[in-house]
Amino acid sequence: MILKSIAEQALHEALRTGGDFAELFCEDRRSGAMGLVDGHVENASTVRRHGAGIRVYNGLNSVYVHTNDTSLSGLLSAARKAADAVSGSAAVGDVRLVPSIPANAHPIKALTMDVAGSRKAKLLRDMDLAARAVSPEIAQVRANLIYWDSDVLIANSEGLYTGDRRVYTRVACAAVAEGGGESQSGSVGPGAMMGFELFEGRVDVVKEAEKAARQAVTMLHAEPCPAGVMPVVIDGGFGGVIFHEACGHSLEAQAVAFGNSEFAGKLGERIASPVVTAVDDGTLPGEWGSLNIDDEGTPTTRLVLIQDGVLINYMVDRLNGRRMNMAPTGSSRRQDYTFAPTSRMRNTFIAAGSDDEDEIISTCGDGLYAKSMGGGSVNPVTGEFNFAVDEGYLIKGGRIDRPVRGATLIGRGAEVLKRIDRVGSNMWMAQGMCGASSGSIPTNVGQPMIRVTEMTVGGR
Amino acid sequence: MQRSEFMSRLFERARQKAAGASDFACEACWSTGESFEVQVKNGEIYQYNVSEGGGLGFRALVNGKMGYASTQILDEDAVDLLVDGALENAALVESEDRQFLFPGSERYPALRQYEPRLERIDAAQKIEMARELERLTLAQDSRVVQVEDCAVFYESSETGIENTLGLKVSQRSNLIGGYVIAVAREGERVNTGFKLFFTMDPDEIDLENVAREAAREAVSGLDAKQAPSEAYRVLLRRDVAATLLATFSGVFSAENAQRGLSRLKGREGETIAAPCVTLMDDPHRAGSASSTPFDGEGVATCPKAVIEAGRLTTLLHNLKTAHKQGVETTANASRPGYAAPVGVAPTNFYFKPSDMGFDAMLEKLGEGLLITELQGMHAGANPITGDFSLAAKGFMVRGGKRAGAVNQITVAGNFYELLKAVEAVGADLEFQAPGTSCFGSPSLLIEKLSVAGA
Repeated sequence: MILKSIAEQALHEALRTGGDFAELFCEDRRSGAMGLVDGHVENASTVRRHGAGIRVYNGLNSVYVHTNDTSLSGLLSAARKAADAVSGSAAVGDVRLVPSIPANAHPIKALTMDVAGSRKAKLLRDMDLAARAVSPEIAQVRANLIYWDSDVLIANSEGLYTGDRRVYTRVACAAVAEGGGESQSGSVGPGAMMGFELFEGRVDVVKEAEKAARQAVTMLHAEPCPAGVMPVVIDGGFGGVIFHEACGHSLEAQAVAFGNSEFAGKLGERIASPVVTAVDDGTLPGEWGSLNIDDEGTPTTRLVLIQDGVLINYMVDRLNGRRMNMAPTGSSRRQDYTFAPTSRMRNTFIAAGSDDEDEIISTCGDGLYAKSMGGGSVNPVTGEFNFAVDEGYLIKGGRIDRPVRGATLIGRGAEVLKRIDRVGSNMWMAQGMCGASSGSIPTNVGQPMIRVTEMTVGGR
Repeated sequence: MQRSEFMSRLFERARQKAAGASDFACEACWSTGESFEVQVKNGEIYQYNVSEGGGLGFRALVNGKMGYASTQILDEDAVDLLVDGALENAALVESEDRQFLFPGSERYPALRQYEPRLERIDAAQKIEMARELERLTLAQDSRVVQVEDCAVFYESSETGIENTLGLKVSQRSNLIGGYVIAVAREGERVNTGFKLFFTMDPDEIDLENVAREAAREAVSGLDAKQAPSEAYRVLLRRDVAATLLATFSGVFSAENAQRGLSRLKGREGETIAAPCVTLMDDPHRAGSASSTPFDGEGVATCPKAVIEAGRLTTLLHNLKTAHKQGVETTANASRPGYAAPVGVAPTNFYFKPSDMGFDAMLEKLGEGLLITELQGMHAGANPITGDFSLAAKGFMVRGGKRAGAVNQITVAGNFYELLKAVEAVGADLEFQAPGTSCFGSPSLLIEKLSVAGA
C-alpha cells in the first residue's frame, strides 16, 4: 500500500491552504460474485477496485477528493484539489506519522476468493435443489454468492497511520412459488465478516434455502393482509429492522448534529418504553457489521444507545463530533474510498428482555404477527418510517390464525418506541445492506420477539 | 499505462491464453469521469466532494460462455488479472444460453450528449448556486425554518466499448443539477419537502422554482392527518407514477420473463393495460443523460413503444434474450457500469402524455386521493409479483380541488392490475434523475387503490 513518506507528503500538501485536519483513506479491494438461475451457474465475475480519498477540515467544513491514481503525483494532485477548496488559518506544520496496527478480532480461515470455483458453484446448486425440494410449487430459484476482501490504510495529520483488512462473504437465495395464476417470493441472505468457513458450522445453506422456499409457498396461499390499526408482534432477527429504521438512523450524529433528528437534544431523557435497551456494537467477532477500526481509524466500541428506555448515547463520527462537542464512537463508515465517511450503524439490536414468547402472542388478542420482515426506510427529520412484512400471520384471540401477504408497517419512531410492551428473552441478528449518504454498508439488525401495542398496518 | 496500449496488450494476452478454444472473442468496456458536489448549510459549505477516475471491464467469450473481470488500475498485473479472471469465470458458467459479442452496427445516431457550456461553470459559481438555492428556500415561507440539505452537483463521463470483432464505439455526456430538502415547522408539527433538478442546458436552471416547490411540499403537508382506511380513486402525481414505473420496470425485461420472473412472459400482442396507456422507450430523447447511440453490447439504439394503446408490443431484449426467443434485439442491453455484466434495461422509459392538464385531472378525479409521495420502494414493492404496499403522503380531493393534507397512510395494489386500472393520463410528463435508465410519467388517474390509515 502507500508508503508512510508518501502519505506524509500528501497530508502536508492537503493542509497547505490552512485546513486544520487532513486524512488519507486508501483502499485496495478484490471482490467476486457468482450467480445461479434455473439450476445453472449463469455468471461469475471478479472485480478489483483501488483508489484513495483525501479529506480536509477547516473548522466545521469538510472537503473530500477521491481518485484512482495512488501514485505520489496522483495523491499530491488530489491533495491540491482538496486544499484549493479550503481557505483556513491553521498553521502548516510537518506531518509525522506513527504506525500502529489494530488487534484483529476477526481472523479468517479460508478466503472465499481462493476457494475453487467448483466448490462455490456446488454451494449455490445445493441451495437451488433444497429450495425446489420443498414444494412442486417452487418455479424459480436464484442463488448468489458475493465476497470481498478490502485492505484499507488510514492516515491523518494527527499522526495516525494504521490499516485494516476486511473480509466478507454472503450468500443469498430467492425462491418464487407459482400456482393459480399467481406468484409469491421468499428470500434469505445470511453473511458475515468471514471467509468461506462461514459455511462450515455457522450457515447451513440447505436450511436457509428451505426457509426461503417455505416463505414463498406460505405466501402463495396467504390472503391479502387487512388494513388497520392493531397490535403487532415482530419476531427476532431481521425484525430488528424496526429499530434500525425507526430509531437508529435518528441517533446517528449526521442527523443529530444539525437538529435533523427527532431525538436531538434528548440525551438523558426517556425516549422508549422501560423494557427497551438498545445497543450498537462494532466489536462482535465475525459479525457482518463489525470492524476492528472504523473508516477514520478509531477503534470500534460497544455503545449502549438506550438503557431501560433512557437515551444515553449517539453514534458519533469525527466531523459531527466537532459540531456536537462529543468524542467519536468508532461509528464512522463509508462504502468505499469514493465516499467521505459519516456516522453509521454497525451491529444494532434491541437487547434480550425477560418475556416469554408464547405469552407475548397469547395475550395479544387480535393483531398481526410479523414473522419475517423486509426492508424499510425512514425520514429522520419527522421520524416517519415504513417497512414491509415478508411473512405475516393474523393473530386471533391470542392464537396464530392464518398467513397474510402484502402487509406494511408505518409509524413514527418516537411513538413506536414508547409502545413496545413486551421484549422476549432470545435475541438474534440478521444481515442487511444499509444505504445512506456515505454509501451502502454491511450492517446487522437484531432483536428478540417484541410486541408493539398499536401500529398502522397497511394492506388491501 | 495508456488505455489504448493497455487494451491492445489485454487483447493480445487473452488471444494467447485462450489459444486452443474453438471459439474465442473478447471485449473491453471502459469509462472515465469526474464529478463535483457541494452541500451547504446556513450559507456555509459543509461538504465538498470532487472525484475523478474510472475503470475497465473485460469479458471473454470462450466456447460460447462469457466470463467477466474488471479493474481500476491499468498496469501489467491488471492485464493478467483480467485475462485469468475472465477465462476462469467463463469456464464456471453452466447456463446453456448462447452468449454473443457484437461486431458493430452499420450506423449510429448522432446525439448531442455533451454541453461544453457546463464545463465553464466553475466551482465558485456552483457554490454560489447552492447558497442561493438555500437562501431562496428559506425565504419562501416563515414556516420553512431550516434546510436539511442543499446541494449542487456536476457530472461528466465518457464510456466506450471495443472488441476483437471490430466494434469500437464511445460517447461523452455531462449534466448539472442540485436538490434541496426544506424543513417546515409549526408548533410540534414538522414536515419535509424535497425537490431535485438536473439539466444539460444552463439556461434552464430556475432556482426560484426549485425552492418554491420544495417549500410548498414541506409547508402544505404540515397539517396532515391520517385518512380513513378504504379503497379510493387515486391520482398519482407525475413523480409518484414515475417512481412506480421505475420500481416495476423489470417486468418488461425479456431476461426476467425468460426466467419466470415476470408475468409478461409470452404476452406480446395481448392487451395488458388500459387503452389510454402507451409506454415508450426512447434512447434518443434530447437533454437526457440516459440517452445513448449504442446499448451495452454496442448495438445501435432506436425509439419504440413497449405498450401501444394498452397492447404489449414487445419486451426489452439484448442479443442473448432475443436469440433465445428468435427475435431481433431491441438494443436494450444494459451495463450499469464497466464492472457489471450485461443485462437488460430501458433507456428513457415513460408513459406517453395526453393533453389533459393537472387541474383537469383533479377535476376528473372529483372525490378521492391525490398521492404526492411514496416511500420504501425497495422494501414494500415486489418487482416479481407486482404487489406493492407503500407508505404515502398526499391530499384529500373534494369537488375536484385539493382539500386537507394526508400522511401516515399506506397505499396498496398490484402493478399489473394498475396498468389496466388507468382511467386517464395527464399532460405533465416529468422525468426522474437519469442513471442507466431514466423514468418519466405524467400524472395517472387510477380507478381504485386500497389505503390503510386511521
